[in-house]
Amino acid sequence: MRDSGNAIAIHNLCKSYKTLEALKNVTFTVKRGDFFGFLGPNGAGKTTTINVITGLSNYNSGEVRIFGHDVTRDYRQARQLIGLCTQEFNFDPFLSIFQMLVYQAGYFGIPANEAGQKARELLKRFSLLDKQHEKYRALSGGMKKRLLLCRALIHDPEILILDEPTSGCDLELKFLIWDQLALLNKEGKTIFLTTHYMEEAEKLSKTIGIINHGHIVKMGAKEDILRDKSLQDVFLEVTGIE
Amino acid sequence: MILQLITNPIGVSSLAKREILRFLKVYIQTLLPPWINSALFMYIFGIAIGGQLNFTVPGITYLEFIVPGLVTMHMISGAYENTASSLFIGRWHNNIQEVLLSPLSYLEMVLGLLAGGVARGLLVGSGILLIAFTFTGSGIRHPLLLLFFMLMITVIFSCAGMLAALWADDFDRLNLWNIYVILPMVLLGGVFHPLNLLPDILQTFSRFNPIYYLMSAVRYSVTGTAETNIWLCAAMAFLLASLFGLVTVILFKIGYKLRT
Repeated sequence: MRDSGNAIAIHNLCKSYKTLEALKNVTFTVKRGDFFGFLGPNGAGKTTTINVITGLSNYNSGEVRIFGHDVTRDYRQARQLIGLCTQEFNFDPFLSIFQMLVYQAGYFGIPANEAGQKARELLKRFSLLDKQHEKYRALSGGMKKRLLLCRALIHDPEILILDEPTSGCDLELKFLIWDQLALLNKEGKTIFLTTHYMEEAEKLSKTIGIINHGHIVKMGAKEDILRDKSLQDVFLEVTGIE
Repeated sequence: MILQLITNPIGVSSLAKREILRFLKVYIQTLLPPWINSALFMYIFGIAIGGQLNFTVPGITYLEFIVPGLVTMHMISGAYENTASSLFIGRWHNNIQEVLLSPLSYLEMVLGLLAGGVARGLLVGSGILLIAFTFTGSGIRHPLLLLFFMLMITVIFSCAGMLAALWADDFDRLNLWNIYVILPMVLLGGVFHPLNLLPDILQTFSRFNPIYYLMSAVRYSVTGTAETNIWLCAAMAFLLASLFGLVTVILFKIGYKLRT
């Protein structure tokens, strides 16, 4: 299964929480440079899949590789290639947002000077430069969302994983994030997006996967999946939601 | 040997810097209290009360006797509290994920977090020794040995702090070990008294108390007076530091209460 053409390769992944089977033999790949939309109802296994890929969750069996690197055995190489934009605002409450980004870059082996420059570039790109000396609690919800993206991108990862990045955003911010994600994908980054917004997945994704009750129930190129139906219709059909 | 295992030195130093600056920024809470407390202890117990005591350890005054005890006591609590609070708050706010998502190895994560506890413990201990010099005027008999023991003590209790932070699910449980285990062991380990002043049963208990040996070792390093075999103390300190360090790294590796 060592295939560096695949950004993410998951094979027979199983994960249980005590008695709950969260992931049941999940198998799929995400190609390098793809924009992959990962959909599913609440509790379907989306965040668990992300957590396993990023190393935030252990798993029971199966195999997960990032550009050929096993996430357990070669976890350092795998993590170097991933940037995670989490759902929650889990920032260090004691640091300014600039310091937080510089430290984060440091953990990825980027020297302080380079990290500072990179942090300023990202803060500028996401219109947060004037807030660089503030602590994250002083930011609005939309600013925190953008800061999550800055943190995920600080080490210039090959794969950007986003866990519902636009939930709770107003339209303006949603469009800004969409534009940035499309641009990042165009720049060559592989994007793995989970979302509850069908129009978001439909607009941005090239490939779509749908998970339900821990099983992959639909997977394929967006054009193949949406031949004569909307994504919402496909989603409702395969998840059995009425 | 440990240094050879570090392949991401910038990562470790970034984490270490974050941890050290965290306690330095709040020096009013982290450094000044143990220094002020120690100065008061030295004056009240060492001079005001100690001067009236018929003290039995030959070659040193009561004030000189309690100084190494105060150094050890405050190094232990400084190192422990630093890592315990930092890691527990990281778990609480979930910003520990910033470290867990990084390509730092588990050993490197532990070393980075450890640096804060060790630095705080060493600063606290060195400050107390400096204050003590103004009271006693006595120098340090074995400075290199003292440095070794200070390092071992801060490593042991920084790791203990991390273990407590991993185990605890709330702030109450985080403080349990410190209040009900470490503090009694420290006080019974001989901060203010030589072992022979205790009743037999407590003397026996103290001989099984590792902190008694650590404190005796620091006392020997500072004053040249030993209650125990110093090489036994050195071996025990090194073994305890290695054991606590190893357990901490293993818990990070398996993701105990860090990964779901």
